[in-house]
Amino acid sequence: MNTFLKTGPHGTAHPETAPPQIGLSQPRPDAAAKIRGTEKFTIDLPGKDDLWAGVKRAGIPHARLISIDTEKARALPGVAAVLTHQDIQGSNRQGVVRQDQPVLVDDRIRHCGDALALVVARDKTALGKALSLITFEAEVLPGIFSIEEALAEGAPVLHPDHETGNILLAGALTQGQGLDAFKACAWEVTISLTVPVQEHVCLETECGRAIFKDNRLFITASTQTPFRDRNETAQALGLSQDRVQVTAPFLGGGFGGKDGITVQTLLGLAALACPGKHVAMVWDREESFIASPKRHRANLSYRLGLLADGSFHALEARADFDTGPYDHLGGVVLALGLEHAGGPYAIPHTHIEGRAVYTNNPVGGAFRGFGVPQVTAAMEQVVDLAAKRVNLSPMEIRLKNCLTRGQKAPAGNTLARSTGIRECLAAVAAHPLWQGAGAWLKKAPAHTLRGCGLACAMHGMGFGPVVPDVAHAKLELTAQGRFRVYCGVSDMGQGNAATFLHIAGDLLCQPIDNIDLILPDTDQTLPCGSSSASRTTFTFAHALTRAAATLKERIVRRAADSLMVDDPEEFTLVPGELRHLTSGRAFPLAVMAGFMNPDERMAVSRYRAPTARDHVTDNKALKMHGVPHAIFSYTVHFARVEIDTLTGGIRVDRYLAATDCGRLINPALVEQQMHGAIAQGLGYALFEDFLTEGGQTLTRDLSTYIIPGALDLPPMELISVATREQDGPFGMKGVGEVGIDAPLACVANAVADACGKRPGTWPLTRVRMLALLKEKP
Amino acid sequence: MADVLFPVSLDQALDLLAKTEAPAVLAGGTDLLVQVRQGKKTPGIFVSLDRIEGAQEILETETEIIIRAGAPLARIMAHPAIRDHGSVLAQALAVLGSPQIRNMGTLGGNIMTASPAGDSLPPLYALDARVQLAGPEGFRRMPVRDFIQGPGKTALAPGEILWQANFTKPAPGTCHWFEKVGQRTALSISMVSLAALFRPDPDGRVSKVSLAWGSVGPTIVESPETETFLLNKPLTREVLAGAGDLARQAVRPISDIRATADFRRQVAGNLLMRLETPAKGKRLTRY
Ligand SMILES: Cc1cc2nc3c(=O)[nH]c(=O)nc-3n(C[C@H](O)[C@H](O)[C@H](O)COP(=O)(O)OP(=O)(O)OC[C@H]3O[C@@H](n4cnc5c(N)ncnc54)[C@H](O)[C@@H]3O)c2cc1C
Repeated sequence: MNTFLKTGPHGTAHPETAPPQIGLSQPRPDAAAKIRGTEKFTIDLPGKDDLWAGVKRAGIPHARLISIDTEKARALPGVAAVLTHQDIQGSNRQGVVRQDQPVLVDDRIRHCGDALALVVARDKTALGKALSLITFEAEVLPGIFSIEEALAEGAPVLHPDHETGNILLAGALTQGQGLDAFKACAWEVTISLTVPVQEHVCLETECGRAIFKDNRLFITASTQTPFRDRNETAQALGLSQDRVQVTAPFLGGGFGGKDGITVQTLLGLAALACPGKHVAMVWDREESFIASPKRHRANLSYRLGLLADGSFHALEARADFDTGPYDHLGGVVLALGLEHAGGPYAIPHTHIEGRAVYTNNPVGGAFRGFGVPQVTAAMEQVVDLAAKRVNLSPMEIRLKNCLTRGQKAPAGNTLARSTGIRECLAAVAAHPLWQGAGAWLKKAPAHTLRGCGLACAMHGMGFGPVVPDVAHAKLELTAQGRFRVYCGVSDMGQGNAATFLHIAGDLLCQPIDNIDLILPDTDQTLPCGSSSASRTTFTFAHALTRAAATLKERIVRRAADSLMVDDPEEFTLVPGELRHLTSGRAFPLAVMAGFMNPDERMAVSRYRAPTARDHVTDNKALKMHGVPHAIFSYTVHFARVEIDTLTGGIRVDRYLAATDCGRLINPALVEQQMHGAIAQGLGYALFEDFLTEGGQTLTRDLSTYIIPGALDLPPMELISVATREQDGPFGMKGVGEVGIDAPLACVANAVADACGKRPGTWPLTRVRMLALLKEKP
Repeated sequence: MADVLFPVSLDQALDLLAKTEAPAVLAGGTDLLVQVRQGKKTPGIFVSLDRIEGAQEILETETEIIIRAGAPLARIMAHPAIRDHGSVLAQALAVLGSPQIRNMGTLGGNIMTASPAGDSLPPLYALDARVQLAGPEGFRRMPVRDFIQGPGKTALAPGEILWQANFTKPAPGTCHWFEKVGQRTALSISMVSLAALFRPDPDGRVSKVSLAWGSVGPTIVESPETETFLLNKPLTREVLAGAGDLARQAVRPISDIRATADFRRQVAGNLLMRLETPAKGKRLTRY
């Protein structure tokens, strides 16, 4: 079943006062507030900002800290506190897997953005002044600014306590005969390339507020991970977990950049030092650029072996990631990259190997796609090279080799569930844009080269086999007869909260106006894991569905018992009421709520997503870091590009994506995710180049770090290949990331089609494109 | 933040400049406020052009176009007289910044910023524009190419205000062409730009050529050699390729975070290829 998603206004078919229906587009309830600018983001929330907190950052990439002089700053009028590592009671370490990042440096500076001291002041002027008065003494150490340098013999070691030196994590996945299988191959193709560091550029930079009162620490932050933050903050600052509360209002963007600690521990420390006072912190764009984690730079080196008939036989893939000075989520990014390195193809023999290495560059961390855009960039290009070698079209070679359900993926895990890659390819092949490509190619105007590109991707959902992928939903019938969804997972802008209301509305037959939403709050809502990994809706929606069934049944049974009706089936929920179908009588939900005690009106449910049981590696660390996954979404992208030979400009003329993310709950939101992911992916391919030199950021703001604008993006057509995922709520799978995996590869293949060349360094800016055109073939 | 004063006449403004401590003229603020935020400028007080009578006017005489310094870019670019007689300028302003920037930003501010990447400058050079400065002693006039002295440097003396820019209407039949090459389509700072005015004769040969490049030297680059080379020739690919070589010799680009010197040099020449006489019925298309 293919649904064509149409661009244009949604929801006209459906009055907002009627209960929403699964599968029909529904305007997001948060849309109006966001468009009008009335949404209350973290820093807009009411609360008196008595104090502002700010950070003194190192500004040098690698050094041993000797001393910090805070005296002048402390003496400044308006300064409430100046804090260093000596003021921290807890472990002073944060991190998701390895706790290797100090809240405030106590020993070693490992990148320019490291925090040395924290100032709390009456206003921003005093804050700025105080920060400028802090000086420090440090013994400068030689730095490591590339993957190669990190691995070189005798390289300075960033974390002497780490067993494997500058290698944060290394791993290999071997299937079949591994590299030996190349002997049987008739053809071999290779490619090497480097993909860049990408910055998230959330509209809302990192920010939060905190207060310490009644012996508890209350933090409100722009975060994807409120529950994890609570634990990390408590540990780093030496508090018990129950003494920390974290709340997460709507985020103005996350994309992985807020998957983990940004301001939370610092704010906590500031609040502890100034009890009873509200403290706020906002990073400006420049600070965000320097201090926040980014997409990992990766060096990729691929070799694909084929049999004479064009079937893929052996793959050697090497992928090294620059994780900067701290783990953050670098090991997990590596693991997901390795698992997906072979793409959605059946390849019997594989050897996939990679490392995440420490350097003194900015921190590498979570970013939508999480290692998969990197490896897809190499895999999909090598597939096109193979097509050329064996004389098949890019479509033919993919149809010939793509995975079908029941086969093993290149990492060795069995695809037992919905697997729609072939159908995605078929949908693209049948589309007028694909069919008309030949004619379009022939009509290139003067000074332009035209090309078409194809790329596939698959993306695993969830945390993998070890880390519990769990969500708890809480649903209440309020005393006023309204429903209330307690959602413990952040909505960073992707609209999952809207989807939860949509689902609750459908299941309870209530218009969204009758449903309230409680955003993540570690006191009120229950743990749901992070808003990440294409798992947010999948996991919570399951828990919510169960909670809704429980609550509905309780309401109905209560009514049946009270009215001495034998068969609860005689009752049904309708907007605002419970209707007795046999008599036609209706009972307002407020009246029903009055019959029930508060505990009875509350339903709680837990859900854990299915995990893969395949034993694909003996490497326990890789398994712990998430290899392999059980459920995957798939996508096939097609792009037409035009290269201006005079200026090196690449214009993406049209874009088509066919995606299998299971059944759609709200097609409008799926479309938004795909549009955003493709736009961000084209930014990664053509514009976004986070540059550093000697660990110092060169692209310090948005005048030099270039993200695409509306005029740089093509019209996008989207096709949904709606398989039904048997374990998915309403048959859905995740769609948050899969769309960003393919655009760079797709553009690369289109550019090669146009000019016959493939750049070694991305993004393909005008300067690189023009130089590439000049290169001898 | 310092106070903002709103004089209502030019004389009053000049008077305030003379009497206040560390004043800065504030037009649209789209350059100035960025510099203030970065701490590069710390004015004691702002003197706004906003309410000065006549400071935003665009005037047309029989032979001339006059644009007052305070005229917002969006108005200049939409003005019928500019479209008719200064299309090269209108084309450049149409790709300057974004609608918001063009609504706030002014021609005077763009000239005063004197950036090699300032988008109004190549057209103003190609149009042979002159500027008029107002000071306590009255007005002074000079060609814009003499007024601009280096990156961020102009001949404006302390206490003076840039009052207007003016240019003679090009002869009828003149072709106007502007192209900016930036890192993206909108909101993009020029890596290389070219403003060109030329008049094709009925037989296709050109008389009167003026060319000016942005972002390929410390100030706008002109190349009399390239212009002379093109005179009385038809604009064929071969001719333009030859002109491109001369242009590449004339420019003095540097490498920076946006582009390499090599890229700038090459593109400065390449952009001339767009001037090829279009085939019948086809319009010049742009990227
Ligand atoms: C997001 C963004 C995008 C931009 N994009 C572009 C672009 O694509 N191309 C481009 O060329 N520029 C661009 N700019 C720069 C800027 O918008 C332009 O240079 C604009 O024309 C400046 O005009 P203004 O009126 O805002 O100047 P202001 O900021 O008000 O003034 C600039 C300077 O000139 C002085 N000044 C202004 N008017 C006078 C006067 N009449 N007499 C004496 N001194 C005066 C001021 O004191 C100040 O030093 C961009 C700026 C921003 C913020």
